[in-house]
Amino acid sequence: MNNPAAEISSYLKHGDYSVAVRRTLDLCLDSGNDVLIEKAIGWSRQYHAIEHGEAGKALPAVFSEEAEKILQEASATGAGSVEQHKHLISAENISKKYNNGSFSLKPINLSVDTGDVLGVVGENGNGKTTLLRCLAGQLGLNNGVIRYHLLENPDAYAIKNHIAFIPQRIPKWYGMLKDNLHFSAAIAGINGDKNNLMVDFMLERLNLSSYAHLTWDQISSGYRTRFEIARILLQKPRLLILDEPLANLDINAQQTILTDLIFMAKGVHNPMGIILSSQQLHEVEKVADSVIFIKQGNCIYKSSDAEGKITSNAVEFETKAERESIIRLFGEGNIELQFNGGFYTIISATLSSQEIIGKLIDAKIPVTYFRDITYSTKRFF
Amino acid sequence: MSKRPLVPSFLQKLDDKLLRNKPGAWATRVHLVIYFVAAFALLLFVFCYAVFFDAKQYSRIESWNVFVGLIAFIGFVFWLIFLLRFNVFKRYGNWSAMDGLRDFALYFISIGAMVAVCFVPSAVETMRANQQFGNEEIVKDINELNINACRLEYNILPLEWTVDTCKLVDKARFPQAVDVVVPTPDTVIDSVRAEEEYNRIRYTYLDTAELRSKLEIADSVLKLNDSLYVFYQCPNYRFISSYNADDYSAVKMFSSADIYNSTVKNYKKPDRSALMKRMVELQAKYASNSPYYYGEYNTIDENDNYETRINKTYDFTRIGNGIDNAVRKKQAWIEDWPMYLRIFYYTTLLLTMLVFIFRHSTVKTFFLSVLAALLLAILTGLLMVVSQGDEISALSFMIVYYVVFAVLGLSIFKTGVRKAVQGIGLNLFLFATPFVPLIFVALNEAMQYNRYSEPLRVYEERDPAQTALYFLIAEIAGSVILVILIQPLFKKLYRKWYSAPEE
Repeated sequence: MNNPAAEISSYLKHGDYSVAVRRTLDLCLDSGNDVLIEKAIGWSRQYHAIEHGEAGKALPAVFSEEAEKILQEASATGAGSVEQHKHLISAENISKKYNNGSFSLKPINLSVDTGDVLGVVGENGNGKTTLLRCLAGQLGLNNGVIRYHLLENPDAYAIKNHIAFIPQRIPKWYGMLKDNLHFSAAIAGINGDKNNLMVDFMLERLNLSSYAHLTWDQISSGYRTRFEIARILLQKPRLLILDEPLANLDINAQQTILTDLIFMAKGVHNPMGIILSSQQLHEVEKVADSVIFIKQGNCIYKSSDAEGKITSNAVEFETKAERESIIRLFGEGNIELQFNGGFYTIISATLSSQEIIGKLIDAKIPVTYFRDITYSTKRFF
Repeated sequence: MSKRPLVPSFLQKLDDKLLRNKPGAWATRVHLVIYFVAAFALLLFVFCYAVFFDAKQYSRIESWNVFVGLIAFIGFVFWLIFLLRFNVFKRYGNWSAMDGLRDFALYFISIGAMVAVCFVPSAVETMRANQQFGNEEIVKDINELNINACRLEYNILPLEWTVDTCKLVDKARFPQAVDVVVPTPDTVIDSVRAEEEYNRIRYTYLDTAELRSKLEIADSVLKLNDSLYVFYQCPNYRFISSYNADDYSAVKMFSSADIYNSTVKNYKKPDRSALMKRMVELQAKYASNSPYYYGEYNTIDENDNYETRINKTYDFTRIGNGIDNAVRKKQAWIEDWPMYLRIFYYTTLLLTMLVFIFRHSTVKTFFLSVLAALLLAILTGLLMVVSQGDEISALSFMIVYYVVFAVLGLSIFKTGVRKAVQGIGLNLFLFATPFVPLIFVALNEAMQYNRYSEPLRVYEERDPAQTALYFLIAEIAGSVILVILIQPLFKKLYRKWYSAPEE
């Protein structure tokens, strides 16, 4: 992200308009120039109007010209410069035991800086939500301490104002969706025309403008998640905690939301840290700077601690080949082969992931899917 | 921009402006409440203005109050649904330093507007009555009706005044003076004594207070000496005499003596047809369709006395009812405004506090608070019954409860987690605060009363005006204390309690 304008120009050149529009909006927001933001919103609306219009209709040349103008203006303001990382939150040996004794979260240490994304993975009922709620100040701790580094002697209200928590089951919104966004912006201190501008920006940025005049009951659960994210982002939290945000999203929306969150977290406008839990291991691992795996309340894996400690490589793949043929290929005892009913996993202390995949391809074993899971929490499932 | 049905564009613009600039005020919907209440009040005013055209008819204002009260209640519930589902307090943000007080004030205004609309029919009724009949006009007509009746029915009027000879005595020293034994032929043995006894009971014994009262209403008095008065009572010539009709009139109702002096004493034969015509006019002007009137009673019976005859002849029962109805309507707001004000104020205050508490509490804690209050009331009632406690015990219980609520509520400052019991304490602490001065004043009054009632103590009558003033000061003080504490104490406590992590 050293030269975001060049990056966006590249997207435009190769026809990746959707990501170009979103990144341009981010760039203009980082510029802090309201006129430029308004231009970018108009430009984005133009794109979405065409996108939602006749299928196959090409974007007019003026669209790209307009984009270049906006990018030039944004570059002139110096937008896109990266802010220094700051410590946001650190948890030391935090643990939680419920009064009914049904479950306990064992001591966990973690820390998140601005711009960082921490993924929390694990099976259902293993303590992910409990951990997130503790970090969000919603649950009292039995032991340990959480430090919010940007707050001085914070009370519970200041902590909750500082942190945004999006639960898995989002509480219902009442009234028109757009009114809720205006309201959230207003209580975050964004008033008057700026309020309109930021709400319009967020609607365009998350591609929600067409749904803004609807009510909660008129949109799907995926859009509800997106509207909730829009509402939270308008309040400019420093730490965003999301519990299973991808659960209600289709695969494209998952990718879009995750990349949007990353871009916004690392932006200048409101750099923030993100902690998210999910079952979508691949998607989370792709965007997270670090991942922790929780099993029965214990943190059994931390990607930040794992580097340099992993002694074997692992590749997950799908094939119709017989198990024996795979074992014959690698030689009995050279690898560990696991089958979970869908995928095979090869674990090898001597072969690299590339070598494992290369051998499979060279042996003409039909591989329909593969993934290097050496550093993935998938190994623990 | 949201579009609400029945909302004009100027209000829509205001709504949008508030949403973007004053979200807390916007969320109370006070602007919409005031608009809809004003529109409804205007409609109601027009309707009532048309309906209450005849002030002499019997007032159905209670039914109107119930009807309008139900509509206001529906409006209140509608507003509450809007308000409670969009709970601002539960949204974290940069709220203003006085948001708690502002919210309370806006709830009070909104609820007050809805409560106030219930008084519109009564106010319009009074206004219409005052438009239809002037204060002096009614009194003059009453006097005219009485005089005309006397002139038309002179032949059946009694002309003799009754005499009552009264003696001033000190009843505290001579209580036996009032215990007159009426002699009967069986009890009279000694004729001389009987004569004395007879003479003695011809006096009505009065103390100074009774004498003063009697002097105020006497038609004529002859003072024989410092302790002996002869009171003369004129026969009743006031066939229509509406209570309080001349309280706010420069013209006063004639007494029977006035009528005697002006009309009866120097009686001149009237122009009967002209007087009858005028009586018919006044009958049409004032006679009500009172449900208490039964036409068949107008048939004159030979045993009827002169008052009954005159009443029946000139339909004075219906006329009297009509005048009473009009006078009552005209003076409803003069006499009863403190009561109306208290009904308005306490209804608004109680509902405002409930709404404020609901919005600052959790649903579970709110209803647990209601349950706790009910259980405490039942428990206290049982204790009172078992221990045969008096007013002082009940008031003492209330003070103890208040201290417990306050301790529970204030303990929130020291806690790290959200506990339901503290929330209940805080809710009840807030709810009871405006009534605490009243409880203390009532307790003081009860203790004073008990002290004076102790054996061998002479009861010292307490000045009711002074007592009423103490209660008024306590009422005002309670509200002032609540307003002062809302922001720096209650809002702070609620904020700390609600944002604290759960256990």
